[in-house]
Amino acid sequence: MSLTPRFVDEMRAIVGKDAVVVSVEGRMTYECDMHTFYKGAPDVVVLPTRTEQVRAIVQACRRANTPIVPRGSGTGLIGGAMAPQGGVMVSMNRMASILEIDYGNRCATVQPGLINLWLTNAVRERGWFFAPDPSSQMVSSIGGNVSTNAGGPHCLKYGITTNHVLGLELVTGRGEVVRVGGKTLDRPGYDLTGVAVGSEGTFALVTAITVRLTHAPEAVKTVLAAFRTVIEASQVVSAAIAAGMTPAAMEMLDEAIIRAINAGTGAGYPEGAGAVLLIELDGPRAEVEVQGERAAAICREHGALSVSVARDEAERALLWKGRKEAAGAVGRLTASYLLQDAVVPRSKLPHIMREIVAIGERYGLLIANVFHAGDGNLHPMICYDDTRPDELEKAKEANEELLRACIALGGSVTGEHGMGMDKAKNLPLQYADADLNFMFRIRGVFDPARLMNPGKLLPTHPACGEGFRPQRPRLPEGTWV
Amino acid sequence: MSVTARTLGGALIAIVGAGGASDDAAACAAAAIDGRRPQWVVRPRTLDELARVVAIAHDEGLAVVPRGAGHALALGSPPARVDVVLDLCGLDAIVEYNPDDLTVTVQAGVTAGALAAVLHDRRQTLPLDPPGWGSRTLGGIAATAAGGPLRLRYGTMRDLLLGVRFVQADGVVTWGGARVVKSVTGYDVPKLLVGALGTLGILGELTLRLHPLPEAEATCLLPLRSTEIAQDVVARLVDSPLQPSRCELLDAAALAACGLPAAAVGLVVSLGSVEGAVRAQQAMVVAEATRVRARAETMGPGFWRTYDRVLAENGPTVLRLATLATRLAATLDEVRASLGGDAGVTITGCAPLGLLRVALRQDEPAVLAKAIERLRAFVDESDGSVVVERGSTALRTSLDPWGPVPAGPLALMRALKQEFDPRGTLNPGRFVGGL
Ligand SMILES: Cc1cc2nc3c(=O)[nH]c(=O)nc-3n(C[C@H](O)[C@H](O)[C@H](O)COP(=O)(O)OP(=O)(O)OC[C@H]3O[C@@H](n4cnc5c(N)ncnc54)[C@H](O)[C@@H]3O)c2cc1C
Repeated sequence: MSLTPRFVDEMRAIVGKDAVVVSVEGRMTYECDMHTFYKGAPDVVVLPTRTEQVRAIVQACRRANTPIVPRGSGTGLIGGAMAPQGGVMVSMNRMASILEIDYGNRCATVQPGLINLWLTNAVRERGWFFAPDPSSQMVSSIGGNVSTNAGGPHCLKYGITTNHVLGLELVTGRGEVVRVGGKTLDRPGYDLTGVAVGSEGTFALVTAITVRLTHAPEAVKTVLAAFRTVIEASQVVSAAIAAGMTPAAMEMLDEAIIRAINAGTGAGYPEGAGAVLLIELDGPRAEVEVQGERAAAICREHGALSVSVARDEAERALLWKGRKEAAGAVGRLTASYLLQDAVVPRSKLPHIMREIVAIGERYGLLIANVFHAGDGNLHPMICYDDTRPDELEKAKEANEELLRACIALGGSVTGEHGMGMDKAKNLPLQYADADLNFMFRIRGVFDPARLMNPGKLLPTHPACGEGFRPQRPRLPEGTWV
Repeated sequence: MSVTARTLGGALIAIVGAGGASDDAAACAAAAIDGRRPQWVVRPRTLDELARVVAIAHDEGLAVVPRGAGHALALGSPPARVDVVLDLCGLDAIVEYNPDDLTVTVQAGVTAGALAAVLHDRRQTLPLDPPGWGSRTLGGIAATAAGGPLRLRYGTMRDLLLGVRFVQADGVVTWGGARVVKSVTGYDVPKLLVGALGTLGILGELTLRLHPLPEAEATCLLPLRSTEIAQDVVARLVDSPLQPSRCELLDAAALAACGLPAAAVGLVVSLGSVEGAVRAQQAMVVAEATRVRARAETMGPGFWRTYDRVLAENGPTVLRLATLATRLAATLDEVRASLGGDAGVTITGCAPLGLLRVALRQDEPAVLAKAIERLRAFVDESDGSVVVERGSTALRTSLDPWGPVPAGPLALMRALKQEFDPRGTLNPGRFVGGL
């Protein structure tokens, strides 16, 4: 699709000349998110600074029947903030202010382009933080976090983004500015805020967000334990939960990742360890002390090779160092990998770990894993050699098989990254026709013309098409005339 | 073409059995909602039966009103039509309990009390405690988004409902969400159904996130001299690393109803953790009391049961008020000014969240309606709301029990209802904006 010069002029009139990108080189920098398989440059990129401009953009696109693709920082891992059908990309980078911090009511209102960590930085001195902490928090935007309903290591205790969003300002696909939710709780009516969070820009552009702020805990304790096998380490997760603990985070690194990290700058993880489990506890000091000791004891009972407990902030940072470097360290193992985000019930971790090893062996591929063990959210990285023609296909098959294994255990396709183009096709693994159709219809309410981020989240599937009717229950015979 | 009344009855009985469908005059009178009698009271035993009953009602143009334990039937506007009352208490199975995953799947008619009894053995809990929670069904709690003191720490059904199986207006059984504690696969359908009063779908089965029961718990009362002091204490507790499980405000009448020592206002704070942490945090609360020259009192473990009973028996009129924590004192003054001193007002609420319950002995619709409108105008400054949570049919006829919803969100809500229940099969007329 290409846009008329008149349309581009209209964009310039709305946002100003210096906020419209039409050059090929300029547009190419917006052709993908961090899942670089999926490419599609928009025909034009606009960078609004005000909600009113966003509304005018959507209205113009509706008149021109042009797709609209919202973009935050472009750190998505799903083929989300890219334009497979061209159209207008709306970058939120210039709407990045903190509009209000209200400590008395424990909340803040921000623009969507604000970087996640900047909010925490702004309130840290007063003893507060914004709890959702995706590993990308130094770069990803809060608007992107809201739209993907992002998680992070500490979501185990604090909950994911949706649990911290009080209200939104939306410019819907209908071209209207709608404010849903807000600082006061329990507004009468449907929870439009709740259903809009995680909608990946397919309902609306998020132009302002009111979030809950969380008070910093009194104390933090970090325990790191090394195990011979990832299966042993997985059993610790269930044991900790059975012991009534609610750690703030429980992160796992497998053997391949440990090797990769140790080969780099090195967090000094024990050589020969098959798994490292990082357990963090926070809360009242006395609670953290007791639970920290219990966590260490559980690790020892389960045959830990070593257990270390950080004594201060510097030691804590050291224990986390490897975890934080993990994504980068994988580069030492392979040039290319497929990343998954499936979830299993956490009691099934030992089971799925065995399965992952078996699948890796069957396909002759290395599967490295660094993941949010506490809530059963896996991040297997299926490594392949992209110089060998058939490896990618093999990796895709292994990926598919692994995903099905997770679903068969009662799991979920994605725990935090979202759907985008990449996982849309997998939605039918988890949902039946009626369920898909229900989602398709919700989307139509917010965006009847279906111009908002087309091709994302919902699959091409009969149940996601106009006129589809899900099967109704069977009624008693003979009652109908 | 429509089936005759006789064949409708035959169809219902064919689905739920002779004992499960009744058009008996006495039964229908007893099931009347706001004076509107149904033609049928139907009690499905399985989700499939539920779906088939809804499908027939839909095809016949009948209005269905789902009910659980009947705690919240005086919430919302009187229904526009009532043809079939769907009694969901027969859906009372705990489908799957996975203690190692801290998740449980239950049918909608399971009561919170019945579930608590099962979870207790594993020292786990579903921390939802709206007034009278023990006998309320979980489907009812979800449909009304009802919360209690524990929401301060654990949130509400919104935060605990992972997955939901529901029946759409035309009888199609639909699933949304997941069975695991973390999932962003597709849209967050459960959020849309929580608090929707069954107007988009009838909840059949819920998958819920559980929490471990704290090992130790302590509760203390801070009797205070004024609401300004209470607001100040709340602000200081919030701006600290304390992790209270509950922090309820009780006015003088509520203190008396709970059998507590007299004071202008009291805060009851509970702390749950390991023994040592509970003691240390309790000391912080006591120190805060001392700062404002009050004497904190330790309460027995039975307090929250007493409190629950007092709240559940409140009435005949109960208002739910949402404001900002920073406007608590001003709002309390306004409540008293609007309702007058002798209306038999009892005020309680979750102070740090800016939520108040106002119970009244007064039930004169004209007087109440005027007072509620005045309160609505007051909380409007902070985008707050005043909802009639319980009230006479006359009161809920003379004013909108939900209060106004701004035009933008209301248009989307109407569009959702139009999309999913265009014939008005599900609970017609009871929800916001007459939905
Ligand atoms: C190294 C690394 C680590 C990561 N770790 C995590 C992690 O721990 N947890 C996690 O959940 N994710 C993680 N991610 C994924 C990613 O950072 C998150 O999905 C993040 O929320 C995306 O934010 P963004 O601003 O980059 O959004 P983008 O990638 O720009 O957009 C994401 C989606 O949201 C839509 N969107 C963006 N802004 C808006 C808006 N204002 N209105 C409407 N729609 C909008 C886009 O169209 C797109 O579909 C990680 C990514 C990387 C690269």
